[in-house]
Amino acid sequence: MLLDFQPAPVPSLVNFVVGRNQELIDALRTLPLAEQGAASLYVWGESGSGKTHLLKAATALYLSRGLNAAYVEEATDWSRLSAYDAVAVDNVQNLDEDSQVGLFNLFNEFRDAGRPLIVAGRDAPQALEVRPDLRTRLGWGLVYQVQALSDDEKSQALQRHANERGFRLPQEVIDYLLAHVRRDLPTLMGVLDSLDKWSLTAKKPVTVSLLKQLLQPASSPTQ
Amino acid sequence: MENFWFACLGRFERELSSMQFNTLIKPLKLDDSDECLRIVAPNRFVMQSIKDKFLDRIHQLGQDFFSRPISVELVLSDDAADQELPPVIAAPPAPEPVASQSKKVKPGSKTDTSGLNPSLTFSNFVTGKANQLARAAALQVAENPGGAYNPLFVYGGVGLGKTHMIQAIGNHLRSQRPDARISYLHAEKYVSDVVKAYQHKAFDEFKKRYHSLDLLLIDDIQFFAGKGRTQEEFFYAFESLIGANKQIVITCDTLPKEISGIEDRLKTRFSWGLTVVVEPPELEMRVAILIEKANAAKIRLEEDVAFLIAKHIRSSVRDLEGALNRVIAMANFTGKSIDTNLVKDALKDIIGRVQSITIESIQKTVADYYKIKVAEMYSQKRSRNIARPRQIAMALARDLTNSSFPEIGEAFGGRDHTTVMHACKKIDSLKSAEPTLVKEYNLLLQVLRGD
Repeated sequence: MLLDFQPAPVPSLVNFVVGRNQELIDALRTLPLAEQGAASLYVWGESGSGKTHLLKAATALYLSRGLNAAYVEEATDWSRLSAYDAVAVDNVQNLDEDSQVGLFNLFNEFRDAGRPLIVAGRDAPQALEVRPDLRTRLGWGLVYQVQALSDDEKSQALQRHANERGFRLPQEVIDYLLAHVRRDLPTLMGVLDSLDKWSLTAKKPVTVSLLKQLLQPASSPTQ
Repeated sequence: MENFWFACLGRFERELSSMQFNTLIKPLKLDDSDECLRIVAPNRFVMQSIKDKFLDRIHQLGQDFFSRPISVELVLSDDAADQELPPVIAAPPAPEPVASQSKKVKPGSKTDTSGLNPSLTFSNFVTGKANQLARAAALQVAENPGGAYNPLFVYGGVGLGKTHMIQAIGNHLRSQRPDARISYLHAEKYVSDVVKAYQHKAFDEFKKRYHSLDLLLIDDIQFFAGKGRTQEEFFYAFESLIGANKQIVITCDTLPKEISGIEDRLKTRFSWGLTVVVEPPELEMRVAILIEKANAAKIRLEEDVAFLIAKHIRSSVRDLEGALNRVIAMANFTGKSIDTNLVKDALKDIIGRVQSITIESIQKTVADYYKIKVAEMYSQKRSRNIARPRQIAMALARDLTNSSFPEIGEAFGGRDHTTVMHACKKIDSLKSAEPTLVKEYNLLLQVLRGD
């Protein structure tokens, strides 16, 4: 039986490669200290830009500070969330009408109480396709676009990820990945994780040739 | 006199916003008399507004028209005068006293269940053409609740300051009469209160709470749509409060008669009092709002900077506030002063690109720029005037999308990934040799990014 000895690293603000997002990271750290009425933050960007990582990381950070924080990614019992100190809501563009009303109420309540509410979506607030009363509320707080990483920064992110999982990742493997695979981080990280697993199974070090075998089309990697 | 009145109407139509003209001037009737100009106002609101704002102008126009002073008499129509109405209040008080009075209010105290936010007052409510009528009406109601304008129905799009306005009514009344029972709530909260009362069979308490108020401020009444039991309860509350001369103020996203999913008997009652609109703020008002909000945050905002934000954010006051928040956050973070460059950077996050960049949009933009057909992007032709733009498009695809070399090759007529890698290297080396190419490349980058 194969044991996965390396659980996926927990998203944190520390293991997020910052790139041009330093102001956003700072804003997430200090959000619970914001004045009443200024504690909402809307993050947007294309899929794979790191929104989910940031929301989960912020939730974990607030929990570690003793706040009762929740991360939400789909329809839920919204009234139950009123009891929390901080809430992060992901993929707002997928919420149905009822959930949008739920989030609308939660927003009003959290704003009045000065409690942190983070929402993530694919589009800028003005282009977001949700109820207008919710849309304008999301645009009311701080708004940040997650800035995509450059190839160099992605390379750093991959190296850091490999370190956390405890394997050596040669630079030429990263270069090959960046040249041959879609370069959004979830794809890159996904390939890297499979590569790690396969190298453990095959008992071979991570090399370009191992990666080539992994990426070989039309047949699953075999030994 | 009749000729003069027509001239007068024409003048006002040109000088005032259509909303002001239609609401205040058009309903006026001329009561024919040779001696003086006798104008009949349909209600006290119109009469008071004309007296406050336009009487001087009418006198002046009369002087110009007849070359002598005229006497003007302003009266209330018999229909309106017949009703038992409270005395018309004098000119709306200046905003300043409101601010000092509101300091008496204990903000945010735990025992306060009014739902009022003490920071939302008339004194920090920015007025412009878009909302001055509504504001005047709101002030009158705050001064004289349960009077002629009951209910006061305020409608308009989202994020235009309706909530601020009705909160200000509550705060104003509380500063005048600290013992007044006031409740501000969002319609959704009322719905959930009805549900709770239903679950706990506690309708008596529910009625006691809502029917004993002096002022009920209820926001976004369109949320009642399709909720029969809520509407029934609200109907009773409405009847009871209005019957006892207690004031009701309602906001909505549309006119009473156009709300869908609401019983007719409620819609009719909503328009019993006075219905006023809040319109989107015009450019100057948006600038004023930004400067007011910045002052409140103790930030100095230059006018050119405020104009730049106001020019780009048109939709709602909330979006304006959000943009300002972000500008301030960015200035704090970077330690830079708030100037047009910083604002442009901050606005990028708020407005964003309308569409995301795809290989197709890159191919089209590049083809248009070099005046070749988009089809040439996938063709096998290798002449320089086609191959060069194609290579540029490939390099842009690499820079601006997450696509891999093989994916880009596929999108350019099924080319091999090594061709794309070669193109990217080629463009890179050409950029260090040909300044014009750098210029063109950067221009295309800008166009595609929507900078």
